[in-house]
Amino acid sequence: MNEVISSLVSQLLVKGQYAVLLYFLAVNGWYLVLLVSSLLELRHHMLLITDESRHLLLSSTLSPTISILAPAYNEEATIETSLRALLALQYPNLEVIVISDGSKDRTVQVLSEKFDLVPVKTIYEQRIRTKPVRSLYRSSTYPSLVVVDKENGGKADALNVGLSFARGELVCAMDADTLIEADGLQRMVRPFLYATDVVATGGTIRVVNGSEVKFGRVVKTAVPTNMLAGVQVVEYLRAFLFGRLGWNRLGGNIIISGAFGLFQREAVVDAGGYLHDTVGEDMELVLRLKRLSYENGGPGRIAFVPDPVAWTEVPETAKSLGRQRDRWHRGLADVLWRHRRMLLNPRYGITGLFVYPYYAFVELLAPVIEAAGIIGLALGLLFGIVDWNFAGLFYLTAYGLGTALTAFTLILEDLSFHRYDSFRDRVLLFWWALLENLGYRQLTVYWRLRGLWKFVRGRKDWGVMERKGFRPVTAAG
Amino acid sequence: MVSVDLLNIVMLIELGLLALAVALFFAHGVWLSFTQKRLSRLTGTGRDSLARLVTRGTVNVEEMSVLQSLPKYVQVIAFLEISRNLTGTGKERLRFVAQQIGVIDRARSLCVHRRWQRRLRGARVLSQLDVPDPLVLTLLGDEHPAVRAQAAEWAASQPSVPVISAMLSLLADPATQARFAVQNALLRMGRVVAGPLGEFLESQTGRAAEAGLRVAESLAAPSFDSAALRLSQSDDVAIRVASARLLGAIGDAQAAERLSAMIHDDEARVRAAVAQALGRMQHWQAGSLLAEALRDRTWRVRREAGLALRSIGAAGALFLRRALKSDDRFAADMAQQVLDLPEAAAG
Repeated sequence: MNEVISSLVSQLLVKGQYAVLLYFLAVNGWYLVLLVSSLLELRHHMLLITDESRHLLLSSTLSPTISILAPAYNEEATIETSLRALLALQYPNLEVIVISDGSKDRTVQVLSEKFDLVPVKTIYEQRIRTKPVRSLYRSSTYPSLVVVDKENGGKADALNVGLSFARGELVCAMDADTLIEADGLQRMVRPFLYATDVVATGGTIRVVNGSEVKFGRVVKTAVPTNMLAGVQVVEYLRAFLFGRLGWNRLGGNIIISGAFGLFQREAVVDAGGYLHDTVGEDMELVLRLKRLSYENGGPGRIAFVPDPVAWTEVPETAKSLGRQRDRWHRGLADVLWRHRRMLLNPRYGITGLFVYPYYAFVELLAPVIEAAGIIGLALGLLFGIVDWNFAGLFYLTAYGLGTALTAFTLILEDLSFHRYDSFRDRVLLFWWALLENLGYRQLTVYWRLRGLWKFVRGRKDWGVMERKGFRPVTAAG
Repeated sequence: MVSVDLLNIVMLIELGLLALAVALFFAHGVWLSFTQKRLSRLTGTGRDSLARLVTRGTVNVEEMSVLQSLPKYVQVIAFLEISRNLTGTGKERLRFVAQQIGVIDRARSLCVHRRWQRRLRGARVLSQLDVPDPLVLTLLGDEHPAVRAQAAEWAASQPSVPVISAMLSLLADPATQARFAVQNALLRMGRVVAGPLGEFLESQTGRAAEAGLRVAESLAAPSFDSAALRLSQSDDVAIRVASARLLGAIGDAQAAERLSAMIHDDEARVRAAVAQALGRMQHWQAGSLLAEALRDRTWRVRREAGLALRSIGAAGALFLRRALKSDDRFAADMAQQVLDLPEAAAG
């Protein structure tokens, strides 16, 4: 019996190894193309922004009005600081809309006390169907502040309510705990001023864990010493600096982080706003905007700004991170399934022919292929078909190029914005880049497979995100 | 099975790449740390010398030789840093020193370079030093929009007739980046633009007219009256909206009369802009028209009409209170919401 299984496994391994290696080669080869593309894009971008007088050009009364949509759920502890930081953003025409999504704590009361809120009649133009709005407030001291208290309906529903109240030409969708750089909006709005076909822009989101935060602003950056957070710093750098930036040059961006993105309000409202019944509502909206632009004409370019414009807290426990990755992968699967008619469809241009297949065959199926490789190797060892030397070599070869590419991403960051410039940070960054492949990556494979499985079973819940809180600045000295 | 030799070769290549990346990463870190310290020290020296030269107003050979001894890129950094905080005589002195040191000549030669990146760099230096060099004017016709935009930024501090005329022609620039920079620069030039812009708008239609109207709205000079009246009859909705806004900004009797007629426009966007403009003018005579607009079928028009009534004072408030009892539920709701708004939010 054992011999039969052993021979079966042997045959599978012989045939499968080439497939796995070929897959790794194709994926990493494409990553190499993205890396070169992002290098060119970054160079072009740095040329454009070096010594530019952004304050003169972008602090103009002609700049489009931006409505910031900040959904909040049980944020009583942090809402005042977060909101003061938003109101102090360096942008001339700004409106801030806080949407309390059925908070059960004192979020609305805290806002009311600290920002002199006055209740006004709840009348608004409901162009997108949402959960009912309980009350609406305006501030007597901050004319640009609007607070909406609504029944709980999730982030997508809260953003849709915000869209109904927004008066700006552009809307900025963000998470309540996102920290935006003081001039972040000035940087993000740039693509809208430079081209008429831009429908949305996203910027680089950085990991705030380990950095010092004061009054809702990051005052000192540092790479975290916690392994999970540290590896995510590397992951975020890779995702933004060579993933999205590389796609930007190729015209294939379809992801804007839910933590911070800027959209043309009318385009989003006309598209029907955010979908409620998906956990990947950010990507779904962007892909829908893109699809509609192909189908109906109109603006459809998704631009990416490589400048670090916002900071977000990442999970530091495996449980929390697992839930997040599981949700992200379910979201990806769901979005791709909803828009499956785009796959290899020339009607959708580069998105249908290249970007969609990339996300379907590389991003979505990566955990399946990786798991097959790992299981195959383990079985091979178990049945004595491969020896430890071969297994080790195969493993290192499979992950080696990825590690080298990550290291090149660190160089990209260093050549452009170099926010992590101390020797300690460099060592830590490199250390986390190496450690990523020893356990962390395999865990994400498991979490993503779990997400896929849940998608197949039709689960659409979000799970709970535990937050540790920002590291405040210590007293002077 | 894949041969171990093949895997060894692949792994060696990968290791080589990784080693190269790591070496570059750390070497760049060391280089960065060294150059940043050096740059900071040299820029500090340059800044101090420049500050002394600009403050004294006389040429000090010693200070000049200190500046000249600095690397060229450091000179540029020091000049640009100081220039942001200077105007008038101070800036003139800075330009004089820049000329003596050769910073301006180098920037000029960059302006005619065949690569757009260099031309952009040259234009940036000349713009930030406010150098009145006609060479930059020629860059308004550059093939790259970033260079044209930079030249427009330079033009903001050079409000002469030829410059304004060249800028106005760029209001129809196909590149949004250049068009926006031109609009912004015209605004920064101020009232001096009003006359030429008024004449320009008299004969324009399309994109140029729309862009010009936005600038005119911010300048709000009475000389735009006839152009605004003409363009308010355009077939283009965006132009009618921009004209309504301009008429509201001008706010004279002719404007009020035309706006009162425009409130019945077929397009909701135009009606909303007209209501907003009447509110901006605080034209209380339009109260009944705005009260009528409170019953408009479009939410946005009703909202702008309500806000306009609120902003025209007691007469408007009276109309709003009357609307509370209106048989039109939408008008009554909007009136209630506008009356509820705190003073700060009603503007």
